[in-house]
Amino acid sequence: MDFLFSYLALAAIYVVLGLSTNLLVGIVGIFSVSQAAVFGVGAYIVAHFLMAADPLSFLPALAIAILCCVTLNILVTLPSLRVSGDYFVVTSFGIQLLATAVFTNWTSGTGGASGVPGIPPADLFGYPLESTFQLMLLCLAGLLLACLCFWLIMRAPFGRLLRAIREDELAVAAAGKNVLRAKVSAAALAGGFAGVAGGLYATFLSFIDPSSFDLDASILLLTMVVVGGARTLAGSIVGPFLLLAMPQLLTLLEIPTTIAATARQLIYGLLLIAFMLFRPQGLLGERL
Amino acid sequence: MTAYLQAVGLDHSFGGLHALRECGFDIEQGRITCLVGPNGAGKTTIFDAITGFLRPDEGHVTFRGRSLDGLRPQAIVHAGIARTFQNLRLFTELSALDNVLVALPQQFAEEPLGAIFRPLHAARSQSQRRADALRTLEHVGLADRARETVRNLSYGEQKLLTVARVLATGAELLLLDEPASGLSAGALDAVMALLRRLQTEGKTLLVVEHNTRVVQQIADEVLFLHQGHLMARGSPQQIIADPALAEIYFGGAI
Repeated sequence: MDFLFSYLALAAIYVVLGLSTNLLVGIVGIFSVSQAAVFGVGAYIVAHFLMAADPLSFLPALAIAILCCVTLNILVTLPSLRVSGDYFVVTSFGIQLLATAVFTNWTSGTGGASGVPGIPPADLFGYPLESTFQLMLLCLAGLLLACLCFWLIMRAPFGRLLRAIREDELAVAAAGKNVLRAKVSAAALAGGFAGVAGGLYATFLSFIDPSSFDLDASILLLTMVVVGGARTLAGSIVGPFLLLAMPQLLTLLEIPTTIAATARQLIYGLLLIAFMLFRPQGLLGERL
Repeated sequence: MTAYLQAVGLDHSFGGLHALRECGFDIEQGRITCLVGPNGAGKTTIFDAITGFLRPDEGHVTFRGRSLDGLRPQAIVHAGIARTFQNLRLFTELSALDNVLVALPQQFAEEPLGAIFRPLHAARSQSQRRADALRTLEHVGLADRARETVRNLSYGEQKLLTVARVLATGAELLLLDEPASGLSAGALDAVMALLRRLQTEGKTLLVVEHNTRVVQQIADEVLFLHQGHLMARGSPQQIIADPALAEIYFGGAI
């Protein structure tokens, strides 16, 4: 049973993260490949405050992580307001590499390559969530809240404005709207989602290391968005649940574990290419 | 008396191309002014300079006595000037109604916090704004196409939609870039009727137009532009009757 709970909890976390990516990449059209870096910052910050000499409880720690990730995501998205599309991918790539370098080498802050072990489970209002089941419920609550926010935004004028910006920024300015402010708001929101996902990830796994927040993770995220489908809530939910189930399906094939990891990367890559070529709208989304 | 819209000494070069040369003119409130001239005369560049999409090397634009220098496009819309584009620039994946809704000013929940924390208020105010947008569509004759994705509209309908979008901004001075080009005879009549109706409703129009029949029928005044400079101004009859201008307009192209 714990196995199923873990799968649900992880998938829920990745849905929140997927919403963050979908908002930036799918809806606003800011092609960021560094969302895993922001996710990582959220995770390390929550880990830090849960394990401090004078530890915070989970929600305040998460609030700090959210604030930091909002700020950070605005900063890393700022170049996209200056350089357009293709150039930003390269900039964002650089940001991701930079973040991985910091996660790996700042040993006193992040534990370096060996990571941070023994992160305590979350507590809610002083009540510790010790079983996998309880933590899964926490993650599912995070998923529901994030989905609700996403849904409310997309049906409000703000969502329409973002869709319009993706199509034609100049026309949006000519309609009297402030493109810069809308983009910064979207980046802030995406940062907030990534922070929540990071915090949940740290407390749920109780161990984090740089490999969860590297370029591969960013690409996995993009794959989730592409496979699930861009710009829709349903797509953002389906993608993570499907892709996280895949490694489990691979184990059924009885492939040796050493090959399995490589096989997984291979399959993610193939999926990304295949969907872009043959079904760019993903399973339940719209064309990226 | 200060002019309604006044451009003084506009000068701009794109690299080696001198697009505007000491170009100056003014426009009277409540009139339809047509901007004509051969290709490359600088008509669209003037639109860009007035609406903040281009910062001219030299010169100033004032609107109702207020300087527009250095204002961003959205601020100029708020000042009361909105434009269309020659290549339409509609949001093709959104519905006709949504295209108009994007341009309605001061909407609640146009930022995330209002959308998330006051969803009921957002929904209520949206249903009101939707009615406003529908009225604007009705005004240009597109009410029955409101739900249609823009991609599926005919070219003529798309042109009308660009007018609906500038109307939605609430601007009083509308800059229309070739509203009649590429239209069938029927669609052309619809657009001309619409422009005249807008005038009677108190809008001021500055229109870039190539079609001399359209210019003759709608213009109160014509500004003739050549090589980035205002060469002549007058009634449509005066401009069209001038053999020197006809030579530039038609002779240059052949």
